[in-house]
Amino acid sequence: MMPSDEGLLDRFVDWLPKNLVFKRVASWTLVPFWARWTPVKPLPGGPHPSFQHGDNVQCMMNLIMPLKIKSPIGRAEAALAIAQNKDAIYAGLNNVGTVHFARFVIVGDNICMFSVYDGDFTNYIRDFIATIGSVFNAVVELVEGGDDVIPCEEKVEAFIQWVHEHDLYQVPDTATDFLRDQEALNGDGAASGNDDLTLLPRKMVLQLRANANVSLGSGYRAYPGFSVAQVRKQLGIGW
Amino acid sequence: MVDASVAKRLVEAIIDNLPEPVPGRRPVHTIGMGVKGKFVASDVARTYCIAEHFNGQSVSVSVRFSNGLGGLEQHDGWSDVRGMATRFHLPDGTASDLIATTLGEFFVRNVDDFFEFAKVAKLEPYRRRPWWLKLLDILQLKMPPRDPYPNETRNVDAGALCYANRHRFAQLGVFQVSLIGAPVSYARASYHAVHTFVVTAPDGVRRPVRFSWQPVAGVRNTELTAVPCDKYLRKELEDRLRRWPARFMLMMTIGEAGDALDDPTRPWPGTRIRVVMGTLTLTEVPEDQEAAGERISFNPCRLAPGIEVSKDPILEARLGVYEVSREMRGGCPFRWRPDDAK
Amino acid sequence: MFDLADLQGNILRGYRKPHVRYLILEIADRIAARRWLAASISGRDDGVPQITTGNWGAAKPDTCFNIGLTYEGLRALGTPSSSLEMFPNEFIEGMTARALKLGDVGPSAPETWPSPFDDPGRIHIIATIYAGDVRQLDQVQQRALDRNALTLLGTREGHNFRDDFVHFGYRDNIMQPRFEGVHDPQRHADGQPRAPLGTVLLGHPTNLEGLMWRVPQPAALGHNGTFNAFRVLKQDVVAFEEYLDQAASDLLAHPHVDELLSPGAEAKIGQVMSVEGRHGALREIVAANLCGRWRDGTPLALSADAPDPDVNRANFDYDRESRCPYGAHIRRCNPRGGQIVQRVANNSRRLVRRGMPYGPAYDPAKRDRDKPEPERGLLGNFIGASLGAQFEAMSCDWLNLSLQDPRITGSNDPIVGANDPKTSWFDLPLKSGCTIRLRGLPRLVWTRGGAYTFLPSLSAIRFLGSQMM
Repeated sequence: MMPSDEGLLDRFVDWLPKNLVFKRVASWTLVPFWARWTPVKPLPGGPHPSFQHGDNVQCMMNLIMPLKIKSPIGRAEAALAIAQNKDAIYAGLNNVGTVHFARFVIVGDNICMFSVYDGDFTNYIRDFIATIGSVFNAVVELVEGGDDVIPCEEKVEAFIQWVHEHDLYQVPDTATDFLRDQEALNGDGAASGNDDLTLLPRKMVLQLRANANVSLGSGYRAYPGFSVAQVRKQLGIGW
Repeated sequence: MVDASVAKRLVEAIIDNLPEPVPGRRPVHTIGMGVKGKFVASDVARTYCIAEHFNGQSVSVSVRFSNGLGGLEQHDGWSDVRGMATRFHLPDGTASDLIATTLGEFFVRNVDDFFEFAKVAKLEPYRRRPWWLKLLDILQLKMPPRDPYPNETRNVDAGALCYANRHRFAQLGVFQVSLIGAPVSYARASYHAVHTFVVTAPDGVRRPVRFSWQPVAGVRNTELTAVPCDKYLRKELEDRLRRWPARFMLMMTIGEAGDALDDPTRPWPGTRIRVVMGTLTLTEVPEDQEAAGERISFNPCRLAPGIEVSKDPILEARLGVYEVSREMRGGCPFRWRPDDAK
Repeated sequence: MFDLADLQGNILRGYRKPHVRYLILEIADRIAARRWLAASISGRDDGVPQITTGNWGAAKPDTCFNIGLTYEGLRALGTPSSSLEMFPNEFIEGMTARALKLGDVGPSAPETWPSPFDDPGRIHIIATIYAGDVRQLDQVQQRALDRNALTLLGTREGHNFRDDFVHFGYRDNIMQPRFEGVHDPQRHADGQPRAPLGTVLLGHPTNLEGLMWRVPQPAALGHNGTFNAFRVLKQDVVAFEEYLDQAASDLLAHPHVDELLSPGAEAKIGQVMSVEGRHGALREIVAANLCGRWRDGTPLALSADAPDPDVNRANFDYDRESRCPYGAHIRRCNPRGGQIVQRVANNSRRLVRRGMPYGPAYDPAKRDRDKPEPERGLLGNFIGASLGAQFEAMSCDWLNLSLQDPRITGSNDPIVGANDPKTSWFDLPLKSGCTIRLRGLPRLVWTRGGAYTFLPSLSAIRFLGSQMM
């Protein structure tokens, strides 16, 4: 039931962006074209730096680490490395004291680590290296590019940097904050400019081309604003 | 205290931008309906705020749901901000109001911004974008503007977009309005009070907070592609409440030092402490909609002791604007508390 | 094994000189600067002042001269990029880029820093002169400034108060880490394990098992080097004293005040601290709880009811019975053996602190409310082998985010933290186990400048000064 002033070409143009074939063709042609013409730099990973208390607890870490051996054997090796070191991992996590949740997941040919932690991530990784560095070495050995940063006890700074680089960019909860992120990367911190909001789809597409894996939003929290120790103390289970 | 003349100019700026004058009615949020219900605070609400309606006793409430657009033409199905104005009736005959909309962030920071916005975002003829320009948009990976609804000949979208392109603080509000859509029911949308208020706890601690209503039935919008229906929300809510009550949770987010307390264009992050302050249960649509929907006059600054306004300039301006508008349409004045006469 | 003479002085042992001046220098010419560095360790006593080493023999020299280099300085000297890349990230970025981790926000933000700290790219070398009097400072400065090599961007000067007191009225310099393998006659048993050398020197084992910080290569450059966070910290003494007044008045009206200060107990406090009455005693109690030590240096952990001049100020620990608040400043900076969330880190974030007050001492009798107070504060140096693992980790997780103890999470350090009086709080412990919550703590310390510097060993200075680079 379309209004009568709509012509054939109008309907065609409305239908076009929804069509699968068009979307695929656009990915091969339009996207690389605009990537060359209006390039975007990949945005860095990890939670957005902030000084406020609530923003520094229950921070999300999303590590995606591509395996060297991209096959069921490679995935099995990774699964085995984690399983064999489960006790060490738990002991390490208990002693670091600032991790709410952590899990290892194999997705495709990647070994991923998703965790929720408090405070600055460099401190938690560093304390982690001190307690379970051997586990990191065992796992990272299986990852592309991992040889450069192990043994992690001897290459602490490089390992921390490597973790940061594999931590996903967290697309902000609002589209406008995403635009501000891109502007900040280009050194544009102005309060106002001559923007074009209709360019949002292109900016998003190009960023997702530069950063293939991203976290959408900073995540949902059922009880935001509290650290691990605060929750444990409140529940009376010792911290 | 906002200058009365500023308040009058604000109302006039809003009225000037309407498709048609609506004497005796609200200039914006003209179409609406009144609903009655009850609010019961959670068991922790009183530890954060001494206001009477948070002490745990059930209080009766009057709510008015509305469509944001001004004018007498009803277009429930058009993409539009919805309002939920709530009056908590306190035992001593006074009341506390909480005015919320489905738009979580405002698009201007203060009164001067608003005047400039009103100048730029004028009601303009709105036509379908020609197909060749739409094609050009698609090839540039840009977002073409939406098609006008049947019978939609004018709107402010182009002006608002122009303003947002030039003012970064306005972008979130304008962007969210463009995507807001139409809810399938007034009871299936989230409403946000936007401005920061300051609540006082029994131990004297004052906290900056923002309020939101979360629908227990969940948020659901109509399909974007379907042809919009002009009148359905009132009947939907009447039918719904005949079968079972509609409930909302009142969520209160506590701000931290460094958050934008007085800037309604900036949301607070999801990492702030969120307190459940209570449950609102809507039970019936009163017969006398003239009293329950039209003559009732809310004011965002009508607050029980224990809740105060922050220094948000738009909140401050709304005090005067709502009073001026009430007078102009002959709305019912409400007995203010003596200490509220600031 | 290592040789004290390879280190610059003032890292493992303090000079204890009464005057200090910091020269903030920009390298004007690379070759001339290298020659200047070479001359500073040549052993010749004319021209460029000689770098004081950690082994000053039987008699301490009259004046002591040392240098620290920023990343920009190392780059300006022409250090090869393969070496530069091996320096840690936080040092490369520089202190101004780390503002959020250090609490340099709001009035302490780098955007507000005065010259020369507002142009961090030009700060290359920070040279320090310690001396017995100002005349000696001038003399050494005169010799140090080689106009061909260096441009003087600014200076900062400090001087000791009597008996190691500092602004805010506390006695400082009571504690420094004792190191394995180093004999320090100034330091006695303090109830803490000796710190491994790697706490403060690159190339040695650290407190974290098995971890070694990266030593920038070649070894001559990085080995035995260390990092320093130099901070110009303005202290609002007036606000501090007024806060003590306000807090004491509020406490006098508090229902539990007798638990905090039993009736009559103000006599003992008054005797040691020279104050009068309950109000005066309560002021000292608040001051003691905010810091963790009474203003005369007595640790709260040893003597919570009154200061005690006879107690060993260094030798104590935090256990369940100690009544030092969990959020007290010294407990946040160094939790010793106390219970903290980050169980691995009890001793891994220790720092060597070398600081001196600047600005005139505050005299309430001479206060003129019509004129702004002169700036006063601390010229602080916080030295450790890893800025990220020690200074930054402490500043971020412990001083401001307060993650080490859930009872203080959500507050900031009462003395140095980024406090907003609308939201700040601090809990005073009572004998019964209850607490009294203080509110409205103002921001007392503002950062007015600083830089991350690398303190090279003598071998490194020789390397940097050589033309072979």
